[in-house]
Amino acid sequence: MNRKHSLIALAIMSCLTAAPAIADTQLHLQRFFGACEAKYGTNKDVSKAEGECGIMTSLINQFEAKNPDIEIKVTTVEWPGYDQLTAQMASRTPPDLVTMHNSVISDYQSRQLILPIDSLLKKADIALDEFTSTALNGVKREGEVFGLPIDTWTMLYHVNTKLMAQAELINADGSPTLPSSPEEMLSMARQFKEKTGKPYLIQILSNETAAYTRLMYTYLLQQDSNFFADASHISLQTKEARNILSHFKAIYDEDLTTKNMDYPASVSAFSNAQGGILLNGNWLLGTYTAESNKATSAIYNAYKAMPYPKLYDNDALYVDGHSWVMPNKKRSDDKLAATAKFFKFMADNDFEWSRTGHLPSMKNVLSNPDFTSLPHRTELMSVTTRGQGLPGGVKRQFAVQDIIGEEIASAITGVKTIDAALKDAEERVNDLLGNL
Amino acid sequence: MEAPLSTFGEITVTIVKSSRTSWTGLLFVLPFLIVFIAMIVIPLIWGIYLSLHKVDLFGPGRFIGLENYVRLFSNKIFLQTVINTFYFVLLTVPALTLIGMGLALALNKESPVQNIVRGIFFSSTVLSVTVVTLIWRIIFIPNDGLMSNIFTAMDWQPIAFLSDPNWSLISVAIATIWWCIGLPMMLFVAALQQIPSDLYEAAAIDGARKWQRFYYITLPSITRTIILVIIIEIVMQFQLFGQALLMTQGGPNNSSRSIVMFIYDAGFRRWDVGTAAAASQILFLLILVAAMAQFFVSRKKGASQ
Repeated sequence: MNRKHSLIALAIMSCLTAAPAIADTQLHLQRFFGACEAKYGTNKDVSKAEGECGIMTSLINQFEAKNPDIEIKVTTVEWPGYDQLTAQMASRTPPDLVTMHNSVISDYQSRQLILPIDSLLKKADIALDEFTSTALNGVKREGEVFGLPIDTWTMLYHVNTKLMAQAELINADGSPTLPSSPEEMLSMARQFKEKTGKPYLIQILSNETAAYTRLMYTYLLQQDSNFFADASHISLQTKEARNILSHFKAIYDEDLTTKNMDYPASVSAFSNAQGGILLNGNWLLGTYTAESNKATSAIYNAYKAMPYPKLYDNDALYVDGHSWVMPNKKRSDDKLAATAKFFKFMADNDFEWSRTGHLPSMKNVLSNPDFTSLPHRTELMSVTTRGQGLPGGVKRQFAVQDIIGEEIASAITGVKTIDAALKDAEERVNDLLGNL
Repeated sequence: MEAPLSTFGEITVTIVKSSRTSWTGLLFVLPFLIVFIAMIVIPLIWGIYLSLHKVDLFGPGRFIGLENYVRLFSNKIFLQTVINTFYFVLLTVPALTLIGMGLALALNKESPVQNIVRGIFFSSTVLSVTVVTLIWRIIFIPNDGLMSNIFTAMDWQPIAFLSDPNWSLISVAIATIWWCIGLPMMLFVAALQQIPSDLYEAAAIDGARKWQRFYYITLPSITRTIILVIIIEIVMQFQLFGQALLMTQGGPNNSSRSIVMFIYDAGFRRWDVGTAAAASQILFLLILVAAMAQFFVSRKKGASQ
């Protein structure tokens, strides 16, 4: 009996001591950007963190430290994590907040799987005009805001200035000379190859489809091509699309680019100075900047990052962004208040996030001296106004991106003719979008 | 009067006993039956039902008859994945069977060295698909890859194993054979160890040569294992997914995209669950037909012999 009594007493005590923990508001966050618990699991000083994972982990730690009444539970998913999220939503167990690409928001918003957050932003005292126009457009659907944008990202020219100087493609101020037309780009690429013996471009041509699609979108936008006249129909059998493919196929055919490289191979090829310009995203900015400061590196003091140059009629750039979105489920007032606090915290700390290489979503960061003094940021600031995504209503953008990327790669590497690839891409995308 | 009654009574008792016995037997298989019905039969019927609907993961959908199947058979990419999958099965299954048998024959001796070597060959099988593809990526990638370095050292033009449409599926097949070779080898070793040694001794006394012993004793003795290995491998290799997804993402130009990759893409990335379910039924039928055809052909051959 004594033992029984002891057990009952222990159970009652456990319940009593657990009570304060239950009283806490718990927020379940789900994010990509990788896992780095070993290095940053307890770090609350965001200024000491580096990289997407380090900064995001430290930001969340700091938020939790500043809000002891809010308990944060984080699930880190393998990039991009949408299969997992979709399954969670199908089984009605989504997290409270989740990171999402702006290009994916339409998929979930159109099925009422995520909620508008206008009222929460108001509660958090965040005005919509505090966001950059590109960031706000990325999260707005049918007049409502469906996510807290934390950045804008785009593809960049990562330039090896030492090799560009060797190729006599450098300006007096030390910036690389970039082309202003496809013809000029071809002639510069030939000159680069002739002077350095290395390819002008380092491209991802194997085991990845996104880079080529983003390049295609940027140069279609620069030619004012209305390729998504309506959100469920794409037009790719156009002069503008042929211009782009013919140009990049000429670069490929003349060996002015690296060939057969997958993503990691292309990243290390740039580090090893195997070519002049790497076409990749702004998330590599921090890594290459750090590397260019090491005396032992092949790109020591020889790195610049620039937005894609204007090759056609205007200077538009294809961009996307990351946001925190709120899955559709019932929430208590306490949880909504905690979410509003989290939004406010993330918006207030957008500068810290911009150290990752992503461009800020908050206008005030653009004029923040701490931001402008970061390497390369002044050259890249125009992205926040030049950037455009696909029209908001276009669904399944990741799947569309894969189809277009596969077909473009087939055309450029000569597996298909340009016309056949564009026809197949158009038919496949329209079949996809027409059968949702 | 008593005798017939008693006889009648005995018969009744026998019937009751027999029916009791069968229900007891059913009780023993019940746990398996429950799992089988819950995990195989119901999902199969549910999959057929979904394949007749336009449906995503978040709603009831609407009945569209055979439209998903019609769309699939006019979809160039799906038809290509069917061809790719058959090609992959053709590349891997004979190789796995022959290499597995060859290794088993070579290692069918009770010595420490053979045991260790058998363990080494089997070790690749316990690796996860991620590790296997990482290893083969290091071998196949251009520029810094092992094969690329070998080709460069020999002054040959390196082959783009993962980005050449003629090589991509072959590369995935090579990685798969390396990964899966352990199981067929062990099955063959087990079968070889069942063959009585006196058969070989008698054959040796009769002056049979090595290949004659193999052809007239070994091969007939392991026929059932050969059929088993072929059927297991057909079923497994038709379900190619992880290796192709991680090594080539189905590219270039869909040259290494398998049916399961198509199903995954349709169901999870496009939320087109109806089409994914229809493609799954087709894959199920293909595997069933291929495995049954192999089984019946082998059985017929066995019977005629």
